[in-house]
Amino acid sequence: MAAISLEGLFKSYGATQVVRGLSLDVREGELVSLLGPSGCGKTTTLRMLAGLEHPDAGVIRIGGETVAGPGVRVPPEKRGLGMVFQSYAVWPHRTVEQNVAYPLTLRRLPKAEVATRVREALRWVRLEGLASRRPHELSGGQLQRVALARALVAGPRVLLLDEPLSNLDAALREELRAEIAALRARLGTTMVFVTHDQGEALALSDRIAVLNRGVIEQVDTPEVLYHEPATPFVAGFVGGANVLEGEVRDGAFLTPGGTRFPLPPECRASDGPSTLVVRPEDLDLGEHGTPLPLSARLFLGHAAEYRFPVDGTLLRVVGPPREARASQILHVQLRKARLFHRG
Amino acid sequence: MSAPATPLRWVGLAAWLAPLVVFAVGPVVFLLARGLGAAGALEGLAAETGALVNTLAISTGAAALALVLGAPLALLLFRTDLPLRGAYAVLFTLPSAIPAFIWGMGWLSLASPRAGYLNRLLGEGTLDIHGPVGIAFVEGVSGLPLVLLAGGAAMRRVDPALEEAARVCGASPARALLTTTLPLALPSLSSGAVMVFLMAASSFGVPYLLGVSASPPTRVLTTRIYELVLRADEGLGRASALALGLLLLTPVALLATWALGRSGRVRLSAGKGLASRPFALGRGRAVAGAAVALGCAVLVLLPLGALVLTSLQRGFGARLAWGELTLAHWSGVLWAPRTLRATGLSLLLATGAGALVCALGLGAALLQRAFRRLGAGVEALAVWPYAVPGTVLALALLVAFSRDWRFILLERVAFVLALAHTPWLLLVAYAGKYLALGTRNGAEALAQLDPSLAEAARVSGAGPTRAFRDATLPLLRPALLAAFVLTFLACATEITMSVLLVPAGSEVLGKLLFDLQSYADPAAAAVLACAFVALVAVGQGVLALLGRRAAEAR
Repeated sequence: MAAISLEGLFKSYGATQVVRGLSLDVREGELVSLLGPSGCGKTTTLRMLAGLEHPDAGVIRIGGETVAGPGVRVPPEKRGLGMVFQSYAVWPHRTVEQNVAYPLTLRRLPKAEVATRVREALRWVRLEGLASRRPHELSGGQLQRVALARALVAGPRVLLLDEPLSNLDAALREELRAEIAALRARLGTTMVFVTHDQGEALALSDRIAVLNRGVIEQVDTPEVLYHEPATPFVAGFVGGANVLEGEVRDGAFLTPGGTRFPLPPECRASDGPSTLVVRPEDLDLGEHGTPLPLSARLFLGHAAEYRFPVDGTLLRVVGPPREARASQILHVQLRKARLFHRG
Repeated sequence: MSAPATPLRWVGLAAWLAPLVVFAVGPVVFLLARGLGAAGALEGLAAETGALVNTLAISTGAAALALVLGAPLALLLFRTDLPLRGAYAVLFTLPSAIPAFIWGMGWLSLASPRAGYLNRLLGEGTLDIHGPVGIAFVEGVSGLPLVLLAGGAAMRRVDPALEEAARVCGASPARALLTTTLPLALPSLSSGAVMVFLMAASSFGVPYLLGVSASPPTRVLTTRIYELVLRADEGLGRASALALGLLLLTPVALLATWALGRSGRVRLSAGKGLASRPFALGRGRAVAGAAVALGCAVLVLLPLGALVLTSLQRGFGARLAWGELTLAHWSGVLWAPRTLRATGLSLLLATGAGALVCALGLGAALLQRAFRRLGAGVEALAVWPYAVPGTVLALALLVAFSRDWRFILLERVAFVLALAHTPWLLLVAYAGKYLALGTRNGAEALAQLDPSLAEAARVSGAGPTRAFRDATLPLLRPALLAAFVLTFLACATEITMSVLLVPAGSEVLGKLLFDLQSYADPAAAAVLACAFVALVAVGQGVLALLGRRAAEAR
């Protein structure tokens, strides 16, 4: 177990800057998620941490030791990490047992100890009975468990997880997510988890770093991130909030197209150009508020989502299911919102 | 993904390039220069217009025949419910798997004007396999699998939704097949036909067998080169000029293939292609089945049967009766010291060439990955000798290494490369010619390999070399093994380069077969040809087994 520090990392592929001055500290035993849309640089960051890519600039420290920086380039095999890949990367020419034993064989441990530790690791991921199976006989969820056991068997300083759940179906994803949480509670390993799924990040992480176009927009606990997003991007990505550009005038938010939303009393702001961020569930449909024509209504079971065209985008409102026809005029009222001033 | 450290890459590239430049590129360029520079090169070429015209006519005929037979056959085998289509698909790969020379021998037994078995049935002189038409026929049939495989692969990749869309628009199944799948597969079928053209143009054995000894003789570029080389020094200059002409056909044909492939690729679905349901032939099924069965019997089984019969006859042309059959030729040929020596050398050379092809092919595949942009050049360089006609490659080696090369360092002879009149030149020729097999197989297997498999080994604690050995190499092994077997088979049965390069006093199987057939004894040659066929069958069986095992492990 070790702390990690990333300082001012840069990485480009040709003319594309993938990571642009990224800094992050991960405490010992902490699980930090790198969350962001595809192409935001989260996987590249993880690969630099693993030593599979070398940063153009910046310093990486693991457990106080500099592993990448000016003149320093510790290869992946010398970093003492475990890694789980999106594609599982379970070697098809080895049995489950041989896959898991590989890191230990490289460390030249005695045979008996290898066997014991492999058995233990397979028990952690509940694959005890499948030790002599070949990978092609296993399901996706089982393969990812093998990968997890292989990454953990040698007692890594840090476990890196690169979208480990995204190739699995919904039910398996849920199950494996719980398993990772349980393993973490048992082993206390420092973990860095890359994902584009906000639900996954919120459920698993101690802290989440939200990445956008190669930089971190916000690092915070899931609760803070959800309730107090620092930027419109974080709000839009993590809470699925509506993000509207416009300006504040006389206690109301005005879109360029002329739609006017009166602001709730606690959301005071000075006049000027702003970005309005409001979650679908923080909007009310009723007798008062801004009249808008309904473009679609989606039944969600416990609730319904109502969509209204506003300035070329769709404003989404989630509320109790009710009768409504397309193009019917409904009144939309802000109950809670956040405003970001644009300077 | 993770490329090896920069200096290592360049060392690897240099180590890979050196043998290729010295033993393949250099000699051919040297030959070209010689052909261009030879006094009266153009006049020399002009004097051989007949051979050039014959080459073009025969190759075009072969390509046309392969396309005309191959297109409907590909549709029947890969897109309909033809009975026994799986078995036919295997049987129809034989014409390419067995050397064309052997098919030529088979047809000679069947349709030589007087003693051919068919002519004895139909009346003397009905059929004559000698001459341009016969050569084009044998080449076309032996190229048939190239068209079939290309077309079959394309038909499997055509999105079934396209055919279904035609059905929904109101087309009958047959019409949908003919108006969507066939046109979409046509570029691939045609590029297969271009390969047949190239193969026929560079073929030596069949035109020699069916052309040179005929009256009047039919001469093509390859056989002229051979005749000129036999005349030694004065002929080499003119042979080089002819080689130039032959070599120019290659880029033109490759360009055509590339253009066809490009226009074809656009419309094919990139996905894994859900197999569309085979088209039910209905009442036509029996008729189509009978036609394909007849075609298979005539084109594949008949020539092989004729060879077996010839090998069992006391003398070619003798009366056909059970009592006249004998195994004397078999025991006489197979256990002759000459055969055993040739077999020994052939197996040794084929093994060596196979190993070299695997090693250099793997190197090429790795270099392609390490140098992204330069990689295309590496592949082109590795695949290119395959497209050079064997006659030209052999001639180039013969000319380049006719004298010893002394590499002098510090005023002392440091290293003498004396390859002339040694079997080493054959090894060089074999490995150079078939390097493409190792490169293609290696590169394809490497491209399919998820880089994270090696990365997982790195993160587990393995250094780059160890990760390659533990994670990458074992997964490439089936592809490399297949390349080895293919190379081994091709080299063990190679004729074209062998007849030019075999040093006096030693012998390889291909040369032995050629000599027996040309000068001595058709029955003995037939025995050896049967043994070749058996070897190819065993090799193909091994390949099929390898393929199945690889599929299971996936």
